[in-house]
Amino acid sequence: MSTSAHRGHDHSRRSVLKSLGLAGGGLASIPLLNACGVGTGTGSSGGASAGSAADEVTGAFDWKKASGTTLNVLQTPHPYQQSFQPLLGEFTELTGIEVVPELVPEADYFTRLNTELQGQGGNYDVFMTGAYFIWTYGPPGWMEDLGPWIANESATNADYDFEDIYEGLRKATQWDFQTGSPIGTGGQWAIPWGFETNVIAYNKRLFDERGVRPAETFDELVELATDLTDRSAGRYGIAFRGSKSWATIHPGYMTQYTREGAVDYTSADGELTAAMNSPEAVAFTQKWADLARNAGPANWTSYEYPDCTRDLGNGSAAMVFDADSATYPQNQPGASAEAGNLAWHPGPAGPDGSYATNLWTWSWGMNSASKNKLAAWLFMQWATGKDAMNEAVQQGAFADPVRESVFNDSFVQTLGAFPGYQETFEKVIDSTTIQFTPQQAFFQTTEDWATSLQNIYNGADAQSELDSLADRSTTAVNQG
Amino acid sequence: MTTTTSEHRARQEPSPPEQSRLPAVPAWRRRLWPYFLAVPALAVTIFILYPFALSAWYTLLDYAARNTGSVSVVGLSNFQQVLTSATFWTAVRTTLVYAVVTTAVETVLGVGIALLLYRASRIGSVFEKVLILPLMIAPAIAGVLWRLMFNSQFGVLNHVLGLGSFDWLGSSTALFSVILVDVWIFTPFVAILVLAGVRSLPREPFEASAVDGASWFYMFRRLMLPMMWPYILVAVIFRFMDCLKIFDHVYVLTAGGPGTTTTTLQIAAFQNSIVFSNYSLGATYMFLLWALVFITARYLVSVLGKAQRRAAGAED
Repeated sequence: MSTSAHRGHDHSRRSVLKSLGLAGGGLASIPLLNACGVGTGTGSSGGASAGSAADEVTGAFDWKKASGTTLNVLQTPHPYQQSFQPLLGEFTELTGIEVVPELVPEADYFTRLNTELQGQGGNYDVFMTGAYFIWTYGPPGWMEDLGPWIANESATNADYDFEDIYEGLRKATQWDFQTGSPIGTGGQWAIPWGFETNVIAYNKRLFDERGVRPAETFDELVELATDLTDRSAGRYGIAFRGSKSWATIHPGYMTQYTREGAVDYTSADGELTAAMNSPEAVAFTQKWADLARNAGPANWTSYEYPDCTRDLGNGSAAMVFDADSATYPQNQPGASAEAGNLAWHPGPAGPDGSYATNLWTWSWGMNSASKNKLAAWLFMQWATGKDAMNEAVQQGAFADPVRESVFNDSFVQTLGAFPGYQETFEKVIDSTTIQFTPQQAFFQTTEDWATSLQNIYNGADAQSELDSLADRSTTAVNQG
Repeated sequence: MTTTTSEHRARQEPSPPEQSRLPAVPAWRRRLWPYFLAVPALAVTIFILYPFALSAWYTLLDYAARNTGSVSVVGLSNFQQVLTSATFWTAVRTTLVYAVVTTAVETVLGVGIALLLYRASRIGSVFEKVLILPLMIAPAIAGVLWRLMFNSQFGVLNHVLGLGSFDWLGSSTALFSVILVDVWIFTPFVAILVLAGVRSLPREPFEASAVDGASWFYMFRRLMLPMMWPYILVAVIFRFMDCLKIFDHVYVLTAGGPGTTTTTLQIAAFQNSIVFSNYSLGATYMFLLWALVFITARYLVSVLGKAQRRAAGAED
């Protein structure tokens, strides 16, 4: 009796543990099934968004339509974010929507954003993003297509005027996710908020002292930067990024690469072929690496944009080839030792006179897993609208505004002590867009590109290094 | 005598009626008790084994941001891809060089410092407190500090050492520099661990040897070192395991560059998983790193066990 009772007890204990195990196994299998794409139904074609949440918004437009909602916004500390932070109260007053911003430093920002979007938890409704990230986050269906929201008059204020945003920027945030398709096709995955063109900022005081002028061709730039380098005086000719990151390729390098007539890929029949080993690309890349070695900072391979702009501000670097908005703050009174001495120039034109310029735009994206999409859209609409942008620009740290009307109005008024800034902007704006071919392996192939650039800087043969890079890149972009 | 002992036992041992007076445990509590005991095991299963099993499963898929809608099982092809890539083997070599050199330097310096601080003194006591400061700084923050010090334009190192515009993070110097930072942070850890061990050694063997006229070096080689060896090995195991998994300050300083000169396995895993959003490939790197750490740990722990038995005199 006693034995049998004990056995019965044991049996029931085992049963419970077994049940727990099954339950655990069941729970464990959910992400596994999700990982296999079973049950989630995510993924986006990139074309028309059938059944968008925007279609549920009807009636007359009203800023108060989502009153009482709390909106979680993921941001990185940036002059754009700092310019808008004081205005958030006005947004809450206008809409009745409470904004809870979360700030993540830029070094960790995209790691956090990637993890958040991949988890599809919907913890953040709106997030800051760059155009290149659309190529990774859009295809899995993590981002909301904003085209239907813009088109819906019940959701969008009649005064919004989306077309006022520069065309290159609107196109930069559109893509249909098809390999070989250019930007400007498919859905509108983000709304540009602030942007930067990659041009030359230089120390005008030093240039005037030396009686020199900014270079008009790339060979002249090499000569000028080398002449201005004086290591014993702690000064070098030109700063641009050199760290092992995709971000090394996109500013000055990609701008001048394009002006010199090189392209990253050629497209035929839906397949891309990497062209970083074309004669123009190899010749330019070799010159760029030589320029970094002969007239750049000694530890160029660890240089990121704050290093470049800091050196321009403290007088160590005579020139910087990077984002205009990154060098702009260094000229603000009291911001750096060389404040008031800086000036801007479009940089060398290509052999055919091209001022093709690559851009970066901080934009607003909407999480497709958000449960507050109307509130999210109202926030994005407000932040990229004329009124709030004019107000943010007047605070003096928002460069460059994405709206033509705001640039020509408020922004130009803040540019009194910034010689050449407006002229440079006007010279390059019509040729400013994303110069990369959109493709889903962008970060892998572009970081690989930066690694090759570092190897060439360290003495590797440019042709063989770029041949090898092109082989790897062609394979990577046509996979999957 | 026998009678007396029995009586004594009888007085000490509780009688059966006394035992029965203990409060009775309710039957429901007796039944639930095994499940309460199973809670830690369940927690381990959920928080350790589950992510591990999930990562192991990912290595068999082609799970990446670019194909979340059509993930399929690809068997061992991720392992094939990784094991045949030059990047992986470069990362293995870099990781091993980093781990071996760093652990060796930290061990030699740490043991040396521990021996210097062995005898109590006022200066030694102050030094012990100062020694621990680098350990209080997060390695990522240490990376930021050293990045500023390494700067060729205005870094304090070039200024103090008169090195002009020496590039501490160039292709031929970066690995040395990231090792230097690790040594700066973690040598105190080895020193403190070994110092605690040295101070716990018995004094008698040393006093006996001194009476027999043994030299200081003889005592160090034949007495102190064998007895210290288990403590040194514990430090070596901790540091070597940690170095195999190195990421933080190396990533801050070089992001794995220039080229691939400082790309460790952990950095390669991070790049694949997070930067390139190829979760299966990143998981494969992590799985292979885990295998490396597991095999090395098993070996080092067996060496430690042998050393402990030898120090206790159980083995020659």
